[in-house]
Amino acid sequence: MQTLSVPLEAYQLVAALLFTIGLIGVLVRRSALIIFMSIELMLNAVNLSFVAFSRQHGQMDGQIFVFFVMSVAAAEVAVGLAILVAIFRNRETANVDEVHLLKG
Amino acid sequence: MLEPVLFALFSVSAVVFAFNVVFRRNAVHCALHLVGVLLSLSGMFVLLNAQFIAAIQILIYAGAIMVLFLFVVMLLNVKGEAPLLTPGAWKGFGFFFALIVFVELLYIVLSQGGTEGTPAAAVPLPPGFGSPAEIGRILYSTWLFPFEVTSILLLIAVIGAVVLAKRKFA
Amino acid sequence: MDATFLIASAVKVLVVLGFVLLGVPLIVWMERKVIGHMQDRIGPQRVGPFGLLQTIADGIKLFFKEDIVPDGADRVVFIIAPALPVITAFLALAVIPFGDTVRVAGHDIPLQITDVNIAVLWILGTTSMGVYGIVLGGWASNSKYPLLGGLRSSAQMISYELAQGISLVSVIVMTGTLSLASIVRQQEHLWFIVPQFFAFVIYILCGIAETNRAPFDLAEAETELVAGFHTEFSSMKFALYFLAEYANMMVVSGIAISVFFGGWHGPFLPPVVWFLIKLSLFLFFYVWLRATFPRLRYDQLMAFGWKVLLPASLLNLTVTALVVGLTA
Repeated sequence: MQTLSVPLEAYQLVAALLFTIGLIGVLVRRSALIIFMSIELMLNAVNLSFVAFSRQHGQMDGQIFVFFVMSVAAAEVAVGLAILVAIFRNRETANVDEVHLLKG
Repeated sequence: MLEPVLFALFSVSAVVFAFNVVFRRNAVHCALHLVGVLLSLSGMFVLLNAQFIAAIQILIYAGAIMVLFLFVVMLLNVKGEAPLLTPGAWKGFGFFFALIVFVELLYIVLSQGGTEGTPAAAVPLPPGFGSPAEIGRILYSTWLFPFEVTSILLLIAVIGAVVLAKRKFA
Repeated sequence: MDATFLIASAVKVLVVLGFVLLGVPLIVWMERKVIGHMQDRIGPQRVGPFGLLQTIADGIKLFFKEDIVPDGADRVVFIIAPALPVITAFLALAVIPFGDTVRVAGHDIPLQITDVNIAVLWILGTTSMGVYGIVLGGWASNSKYPLLGGLRSSAQMISYELAQGISLVSVIVMTGTLSLASIVRQQEHLWFIVPQFFAFVIYILCGIAETNRAPFDLAEAETELVAGFHTEFSSMKFALYFLAEYANMMVVSGIAISVFFGGWHGPFLPPVVWFLIKLSLFLFFYVWLRATFPRLRYDQLMAFGWKVLLPASLLNLTVTALVVGLTA
């Protein structure tokens, strides 16, 4: 598959759509778990954009970047979910609106 | 030509799954639809000659990170949220803000404002593009330092997660 | 993409599919017979010669059982979940080479459904997706014991996947390829079980844990969890989980054969026969283990995975990399 019959803009458009949907999730949902998933969605939108540009330029640095984004996402999820479990243990809730005080 | 058909299939499924991630009430369903998004994107990565990235997208994202998500959702047994689309000032603001961002992104994509220096058509690919061997070669030469930094980041994350998840803080 | 390629691929897919679907009843019969004799019983003997048709009869019985979806279960997920492990097992089988390239009517046909350059990653990816079937089955049942079984298995599979992947990486460091067919070709004179014995031990221990077989079958531990994740499943849904378990055993054995035991290589007999002999020996080994070892306790299982297997596999990888680096 040497030629790219789908234009770059089409991939960018899908990436933009996914990013926006993720953004809506972060802004509208109140469950910390789903906010987390929406952030993953936004990261993936950016990954798609990276890979599409990498293909267009014929250079693999974009794919390396995706690799780094994945590692950072893994780290983020591990720590984030640990924080969530700790909060849930103390407060019995995953709703971000109910966790707004600095004291336990 | 097979490629546009596959692209249409993957992009539509990705966007539909993504909508469900955000607008489902049950957290487990959200996580499952996110897995759907990840798999669709993996298919698109293959279309874009990024086989290695496609494989680790399934292996790491769908196979490990999302299983961890599901594990926590089931462990905490979080109840579904209150009705999602009840009118509220903040939610309206959220939708409005997201719309603005989308219009901006659309403007950038369609006006090709950010694509200065990008070839108009995709360039012919060198052999081995996107293969594990080539990725490894670049990763351990040009990107060696960032790679090592990532490993330290992951180590910190592991230690942080263990400390946070411990029941008693000493 | 010419016509011969399409026809050859279709035939190979049908052969592998038929082999697994017909092989699973045979393996179940073998398991019951062998365990019977190991426990000083005689095993099934009523249906067909030597009881060979017993599992076929059981399968037909499962077909006609009432299909129950419990109240309060998540219907859609409950229906989808049993299919997932079967699908992923068949996806993984697609890249396992079961014979050398043969010449049929002037065309070279590799005896492998497809040879991709990321085969090992593909297998690790598909098997890691298999856990969804168990986790979701446990969750969708909306019942206490299945949920516990599902949670156990998700933690278990994430933990053992790591060591499994790293043990395979040490072989990849030696061969420099991710394609299973090339890995098999490099073992013509020396099987990798010799230089990579520790990697093999780690791999097979993790493989047993990944397939949820005794002594690592904590996900269904009937003495503690009734029947674990598939407590609420009946009829064909249960049969699918059953099929997936045995298909996954074939996948794990097939990879072990290709990566450590020389794949189709062997003297005198044709390659495909050698592959089948090795496969049967591996499946016998599975059954043998089940008859020999008691089930581990859950904390022992997790400690074993994280504190023994993972460091051991990393050590093995480091030593392999050093040797390969210094001798290259």
